[in-house]
Amino acid sequence: MSRVTTTSDAGNLWVNRLRRDFRASLALLALLSLAPLVVTTPYSLGILIVSIYFALLALGWNLLAGFTGQFSLAPAAFAMLGAYTTALLDYHLKAPLAVGIPAAIIGTALLGWLLGKVVLRLKGPYLSLTTLSFAEIARVVIGNSVEFTRGDQGLNVPTLFESRVGYYYLFLAVLLSVLIVLYLLMKSRTGRFWLAIRDDATGAASRGIDVVRYKTLAFALSCAICGLAGSLYGTFSQLVSPELGLLMQTGLVISMVVIGGMGTLTGPVVGALLVYLASEWLRDFGNIQMIVFAAAVILFARFLRTGLWGLAGRRFRRQSASGKT
Amino acid sequence: MLAVDLLVNGLIFGLFYALMAVGLAMIFGVLKVVNFAHGEFYMIGSYAYVLIALKLGIPPWLALLLAALTGGALGWLVERLLMRPLYVGHGDWSIAKDEYAVVVTFGLSLLLVNLVDKIVGPYPFRGPVLIETARFQLGPVMLNGQKLIAAGVSLGLLIGLALFIKRSLWGRQIQAVAQNRLGASLAGIDATKTTSLVFVISGMMAALAGALLAPLINPGPDVGAFPAIKSYVIVVLGGMGSIWGGMAAALILGVCESFFAVYVSYAYRDAFGLILLILVLLVRPQGMFGEKGREV
Amino acid sequence: MSVLRTEGLQKHFGGISAVADCSIAVEPGEILGLIGPNGSGKTSLLNILSGFLAPDAGSVWLAEEVVTGMTPVQLARRGLLRMFQMTRVFTRITVVDNMLTAGLALGLSEREAERRTESLLDELALAQVRYLDAGQLSGGQKKLLEFGMCFIEPPRIALLDEPFAAVHPVMREAMAGFIRRRHALGQTFILVSHDMPIIVDLCPRAVCMNAGRVIASGATRTVLQSAAVIEAYLAASADV
Repeated sequence: MSRVTTTSDAGNLWVNRLRRDFRASLALLALLSLAPLVVTTPYSLGILIVSIYFALLALGWNLLAGFTGQFSLAPAAFAMLGAYTTALLDYHLKAPLAVGIPAAIIGTALLGWLLGKVVLRLKGPYLSLTTLSFAEIARVVIGNSVEFTRGDQGLNVPTLFESRVGYYYLFLAVLLSVLIVLYLLMKSRTGRFWLAIRDDATGAASRGIDVVRYKTLAFALSCAICGLAGSLYGTFSQLVSPELGLLMQTGLVISMVVIGGMGTLTGPVVGALLVYLASEWLRDFGNIQMIVFAAAVILFARFLRTGLWGLAGRRFRRQSASGKT
Repeated sequence: MLAVDLLVNGLIFGLFYALMAVGLAMIFGVLKVVNFAHGEFYMIGSYAYVLIALKLGIPPWLALLLAALTGGALGWLVERLLMRPLYVGHGDWSIAKDEYAVVVTFGLSLLLVNLVDKIVGPYPFRGPVLIETARFQLGPVMLNGQKLIAAGVSLGLLIGLALFIKRSLWGRQIQAVAQNRLGASLAGIDATKTTSLVFVISGMMAALAGALLAPLINPGPDVGAFPAIKSYVIVVLGGMGSIWGGMAAALILGVCESFFAVYVSYAYRDAFGLILLILVLLVRPQGMFGEKGREV
Repeated sequence: MSVLRTEGLQKHFGGISAVADCSIAVEPGEILGLIGPNGSGKTSLLNILSGFLAPDAGSVWLAEEVVTGMTPVQLARRGLLRMFQMTRVFTRITVVDNMLTAGLALGLSEREAERRTESLLDELALAQVRYLDAGQLSGGQKKLLEFGMCFIEPPRIALLDEPFAAVHPVMREAMAGFIRRRHALGQTFILVSHDMPIIVDLCPRAVCMNAGRVIASGATRTVLQSAAVIEAYLAASADV
């Protein structure tokens, strides 16, 4: 009977779990919004901006992997494609950023939707295989198309504004918007169907959930989030290059989500901040950051599959349950 | 006579691809998961060969053998430490099997690339040749002696493996486990040992591919990425998990790429595999040689 | 008119004929028993009926509509629901969330789904475990939950694949009781089972398959005593 009592309160219901999670992520964002009071050097602020860029990619990947059970290996590639959409529109057509940034969102969403159409009607590891091949080949093609993209030299991108603090708050606002959109979606029937597909796609189909349609929707949306993040990052760093799409970057994103906690809203954000700040710190110890994170991914996947945030959540539930008795 | 030249060179590359892909297909066969660290088996094999031959001064043929053993040992370790939870004693893992396998093998791939980068350094090495040869002409075909030797060894290995799987008791057990894991265990086959063996063979084959190509490719830490991607394309083309389909698809991809590079575009030759992959997924998702499986 | 009817269904796997010239009909409000030795084609037939396999030839009618080759999703929306031999519940969300998801998938409003969830969980004696993740339930409880999900919007026909296999006798009685109550309300079922006493108890009419063909159909007791059926079971057990 002990099993029954530990989670015998309604706090375990999806709406309540999600609400708790969303509130925690808002609290974290509120804390982050105060950071510029303490962090004043442009360099440190830049590090925080990049961690928020990664938090966006982590949320995009988590929407697929953590909520829908689909494992794409191309979040960094879609960030690269988003960044290049904006950069190429500027380079070739002199299109303003007001066109270039939305175009990056729509372009990556469309590409994700098309790729999803081909791959997601199949069960099994096809998505991982295809996205990995796609990611590497997209990077090589961009690097080789020197006339169109200037190849490995990269492209210069205009910036939205010069202020670093301004950029910090822009990234934070985008992170907030993405979190709100994800929260609303996860609360709706769409989100419930995604969870059902994650847990058992065949079961979901036999209950009348259009599995292919909802998987494709999740994939397109995830690609759009990555595309938006990449596009904004390009305008911030004012340079886009094929390096944005390195598999190593995807590895960072995955380690952030796995360490932070898959299938939650707060976990990927916490993971992104922790991992990116740690990677800056570990750089001083002779560039061992990727070794540490890769090992951490394996250990977390093997022994702590809920990630750090899941661990915290479980402790919270246990406390609240024992508090009531 | 360019066409003959391209055909021969394509077939040679196809043989290397097959060495890689066959191990990936065997792993998918017995565990139904993809090993995303497969390219790193290749990379480790390549490095093992170069370092053993250059730093220890061991003769290249012996170094080749030791590289194969290194690959086999790595395969065994990966299975023992990371893959076994997929099928031993973790009831609830069956649900999250795919996600565990993707995350862990991708993590392993990153770990190995960065470890080698850190320990050996990011600069590519050139491997010693097995036998000193020059380029020579055979009828209309221009051949690189190194490549020919490597191709010959690969062909021998593939034929050996094919015979092993078809004829030997172990090989038949691998086929049985791939067909029906539970059924095979009920029939008294040790599925765990068989899976171990598959990983050892798979690691050896990929490592040998890396070692054989080391004199031609100058291995760096990320050298495994593209051979791995080629093998992913091949296992889908060949019908996931089919060893024979994989071998055939490898030769086909090798030849097609070699023609594509010359007649269409050299810069985009690597994109050809992706185009082929997407076309096959659209038209014949079970692969060129696979039978359509049951959905439930 | 039959709720579900097939005509000349055929399905091959390689050289093996899993379903051959299979024609059955299920009348409104009946529980049709589907029996046959292992490998006789029952599950393949069920997979075709529920859209998980496309037949090589033949057709399926759901009431007056031809539904041959439709996907499981299309069939579920038309009121043909299926329960699996291996239970399929959504393991990482609660029992209540499983029920709500099933309701929402069939187009119920959130409020209506909640209302029906409460009464079904009470009826199935799952109220105690309603806030547990479904992955934590016992095998029998998972089966009951699957019944609940199947009946949150009563289907036109429910296909049950071995619901009683490997289930505790108490649970088995709970399930049989549930089927009887729904039957009394006019629910139509196809019930696949190896458990002959339960088939005799629940199904007035049965169809027996062997080697992909229907070898007998009619009143359950008559079917079970027919020479062809006895021979089929004897041959199957002699093989083992």
